[in-house]
Amino acid sequence: MSDPKFASSVVSTASAPSGSLALDDRSDLTKIVVRTDPASAAAGQLGCPHGRSRRIGPVVVLGQRPTEWLVIGPALEVGAVVDELDTSGHTSVIDITHSRSLFALRGADGARVMEKVNGLDWSDAMMPDGAVTGGSVAKVTCDLSRQDEGGSWSAWVMADRSFGQYLFDAIADACREFD
Amino acid sequence: MELRLPGRTSTTGVRRLDTERPGEVIDRSTSVPFTFNGKRFTGHEGDTIASALMGNGIRIVSRSMKYHRPRGYLTGDFWDPNGALQVGDEPNVRSGHRKLTAGMSVSSQNVWPSLDHDVKAANGLVSRFLTAGFYYKTFMKPASLWPYYEKVLATFAPGGTVDLDTPHGEFDKRYAHPDVLIAGGGPAGMAAAIAAADAGASVLLVEQEHQLGGHLRFGSDADRAAAGTLRDEVGRRPGIEVLTDSTVTGRYEDNWCSIVQRSHPTVSERLIKARAKTLVVAPGLIERPYVFAGNDKPGVMTSGAVRRMINLYGVQPGDRAVVFTANADGDAAADDLEAIGVPVHRVDARAGEGIVEATGPASGLTGVVLTDGTTVDADLLVTAIGWTAPTSLLNMAGDRPVYDANAARFFGSVQIDNVLTTGGIAGDGTVEELIQHGEATGRLAAARAASIAHALRSATVWATETTTDAPAFPADDRTALERHAHPELYRASTHGIVDYSEDVGSKDLVAAAKEGYDSIELLKRYTTATMGPAQGKLETVNTAAVLAEARGETIADVGTTVWRPPFVPITLGALGGRIFEPTRVSSIQPWHEARGATPILAGQWIRPEHYGDPAAEVRNTRTNVGIIDVTPLGKLDLRGPDVPALLEQMYTNKWRKLPVGGVRYGLMCAEDGVVLDDGVTGRLADDHYLMTTTSSGAGTIWEWAEMWLQTEHPEWQVHVTPVTTGYTSINVAGPRSRELVARLCDDVDLSNEAFGYMQVRRGTIAGVPDCIMWRIGFTGELSFELHVPSGHGLHVWERLMADGADLGIQPFGLEAQRIMRLEKGHFIVGQDTDGLSKAPTTGLENLIKLDKPDFAGKPELAWALEPEQAQILPRIVAIQPDDPTIVPEEACQILAGETNEILGRITSSRMSPTLGRSICLGQVVPSLALPGTKITILLVDGRRVAGTVQEHHAHYDPEGERARV
Repeated sequence: MSDPKFASSVVSTASAPSGSLALDDRSDLTKIVVRTDPASAAAGQLGCPHGRSRRIGPVVVLGQRPTEWLVIGPALEVGAVVDELDTSGHTSVIDITHSRSLFALRGADGARVMEKVNGLDWSDAMMPDGAVTGGSVAKVTCDLSRQDEGGSWSAWVMADRSFGQYLFDAIADACREFD
Repeated sequence: MELRLPGRTSTTGVRRLDTERPGEVIDRSTSVPFTFNGKRFTGHEGDTIASALMGNGIRIVSRSMKYHRPRGYLTGDFWDPNGALQVGDEPNVRSGHRKLTAGMSVSSQNVWPSLDHDVKAANGLVSRFLTAGFYYKTFMKPASLWPYYEKVLATFAPGGTVDLDTPHGEFDKRYAHPDVLIAGGGPAGMAAAIAAADAGASVLLVEQEHQLGGHLRFGSDADRAAAGTLRDEVGRRPGIEVLTDSTVTGRYEDNWCSIVQRSHPTVSERLIKARAKTLVVAPGLIERPYVFAGNDKPGVMTSGAVRRMINLYGVQPGDRAVVFTANADGDAAADDLEAIGVPVHRVDARAGEGIVEATGPASGLTGVVLTDGTTVDADLLVTAIGWTAPTSLLNMAGDRPVYDANAARFFGSVQIDNVLTTGGIAGDGTVEELIQHGEATGRLAAARAASIAHALRSATVWATETTTDAPAFPADDRTALERHAHPELYRASTHGIVDYSEDVGSKDLVAAAKEGYDSIELLKRYTTATMGPAQGKLETVNTAAVLAEARGETIADVGTTVWRPPFVPITLGALGGRIFEPTRVSSIQPWHEARGATPILAGQWIRPEHYGDPAAEVRNTRTNVGIIDVTPLGKLDLRGPDVPALLEQMYTNKWRKLPVGGVRYGLMCAEDGVVLDDGVTGRLADDHYLMTTTSSGAGTIWEWAEMWLQTEHPEWQVHVTPVTTGYTSINVAGPRSRELVARLCDDVDLSNEAFGYMQVRRGTIAGVPDCIMWRIGFTGELSFELHVPSGHGLHVWERLMADGADLGIQPFGLEAQRIMRLEKGHFIVGQDTDGLSKAPTTGLENLIKLDKPDFAGKPELAWALEPEQAQILPRIVAIQPDDPTIVPEEACQILAGETNEILGRITSSRMSPTLGRSICLGQVVPSLALPGTKITILLVDGRRVAGTVQEHHAHYDPEGERARV
């Protein structure tokens, strides 16, 4: 019996931009949602408020909602962060790796691409590096985060896995005029 | 007296100039071929269709809407009411604005048999009977004949033709959040953009024309130089995004503005939804036509039209001109004409001079009668009698512009914090004064935007933190532009056309006012004045002036109609924008597609309906083993000590005693007792449950659970997390399903004794840990519903197919599942129930526990369960047609014998491969619900067939023995 390997919802990346923009499927990153009171010990350990994110090595903690955090990164490193959490009280730790697709849109025109599929203000002032929010992307409810990489503009788009291929193609199509 | 001007005579008087004009935008070295009404012509790159036609000597381009009078270009720009032409398969193209492209096929609209000889011009012979209100008065009675009237009248409808086979264009939309949005790229608008950008604001500068510059583009050398300097300065600032050939079409709450972008390299049109912190309205002014006899003859043009044609496109608009001027623009038009050698007779309104009539045949004017009785021989009459201030965006912002008689136009009257005006709409001045006002406006707009931006950032948790105090909202300290005096000139002593688009004359307006339609809003609707494609840009103020004259009042007394969005017509394509139609698929979809499964769209889900033969899929599942992808089944992860309380609240039955490893079916009802959803919930651990919902109800039930938790019982400690697609769900059904699952799972005892019906276990399947297994199914067979982490869903499916080959495994689709569930009599919420189906209708009264302290819908259900309600509420019953070969279509009515009294309907029906007969579920009145009752079903073809109500909902295995083995 061969070991099962994680299969992304994005079967084809043929539509991906190939020039100044990049659209990466990072759905295989481990994603753990932590739900707890913002005054709890676990919230203190996670260390970022709603709307912000925090980097712990290769792990990113997103303050998704007032009582909800998302810990994303390689499985081992995410596990290390989550295992350290004090889950006393009413705290839930749920692995949603298989529930969510995660795409990284990278490139200087990324904000303009997002303006074609999302109604939020993607200016640096309103969506700075590390910002975390949510909204409709091409009519799909998504979690969104500005996550610059190496000083270059980058954003994460996360959505229900079942929309993965559709969403990847929709964002890739929005890239066409800038790529 | 007759005055003859010198000048050459030509066929039409219009032609391309031989020598280049300094500000031309055409490239004379190019040749752009096109056709007009089937004849071949050439223009130049940079031409509009209008300039190309006039450059080729064409003066008549269209016919008027009602009387089919020949029409030529009046304003020669976007607003020209006579310039709507068909271009290829696109109707109603604004030829005064649309750029000429090679190969264009341009034609006049609604003319027959030709533009030159249009038989509908006969309408003009009976024009005295076709006055305003003609339709209303003539075609009211008898009402029964209206359909016939309508057909005839439809043949007179204006506009071009739509080819339904036209390929869809690619349209698009985007959002924008500029600090400052500027509507209008004239000198003031450009200056505002530069100043705002220099103050640190992000600026979106929108210009309707193809080039920034406004009226300076076709002005003097100094004007063009000023425009060029401003354009260069705009281009040097990265903080300014320029959209030309684009229009701000609407302003809504909180400066939400719509912009249509017509020229775009990759799409036909784009709708931009801009949330501007401040909006600067700088659209300039629209030159207003003059009302007099013969004012719609080809050869009558506004001064702006003439200057555009001469200076931008090198087109001579006539041979011999009369220029009726009341302002400097008219004087400049006369100067431009004389500069290209056209003799001009100036009629100066400021000196008390005037015109009375344009004379000549319908095909074009040949003379102009002046107020002193002189007739001047001319083929061109230029009017420059004032402007309309396009205050639409101000109206949309809540302003109510008021009329200034001294300046002869409307001005804004209300200070709106985030909407500023500059340029002609704000006042008059030299180019320098307009630029200075624009700069001050840009600075103010940027400062106000900064204040608004600070507030926005402070209120947005993910935005950059604000580290300084909020900047003060600056007061308006601009020096206002002056309002120069201008003669009030609207109508001559004669009557003429007011609304060129609708063929409404001043005489019609006066007559309507005399009939009692003497409010501007009533007059508009009765006469249709201002309701055509120009939407009042040219005719609103003239309409008000004529009405004021008829009422013996002032224009200020009469007011104007309200300008609503859109400011310019928008194609349906642009409004539709890019069509996003999200679709969802499971992790197994590639396998389904590779096997040629017939897809079906269920909500947003693409699912396999069948793999070729659903009846065979049913038989195989009943005999061997089948697997179905049921991933869309809604799944909610529930955690916390108060989950039982939540379940008790949401379901009608009891949940507190559900043991770990147990699964229970439940019914959910809304507050009105109507069935909302159903499904099973299993207890995975002490404080951990997994709830399933119907596929379509997943979102609703999640929101509903959150509603109970967030608003009704915030004290309950429950976390609800949707995990619908976190698990790929596979139902393994059939007598050999246990044998198959056992081959892939070795850490769960699958025996009936250890893992009985309606129980849940966690285990490893095909090497995938953390899978959830239920002993449930919709088919009525021994079933294992496997919920596999979706990243491994396809792997498990393929392993099931491979390892089940010798067991006769076949996949089955949605249709086979629907057949099997109907054989088992399982109802589907929303199909067998409807928006009025209270829980007792389903026959599941035993699941309604009124002895619980509370649950959603309890009061209504307590009432619904009273004995008298049992005589009223419809019931779901199983029905079998007496003729087993007849399958009544779903929604067929159940009638009372041979009468037409409706007593119910068929809600589900199929031919059962298992039973070899037709089977149904239906809703009937209680009197028909007893087993053995004969009913009458009305088929779609009108036949009535008999059916019999069955004892159980299940047509097959009513005791449920097959699922419990």
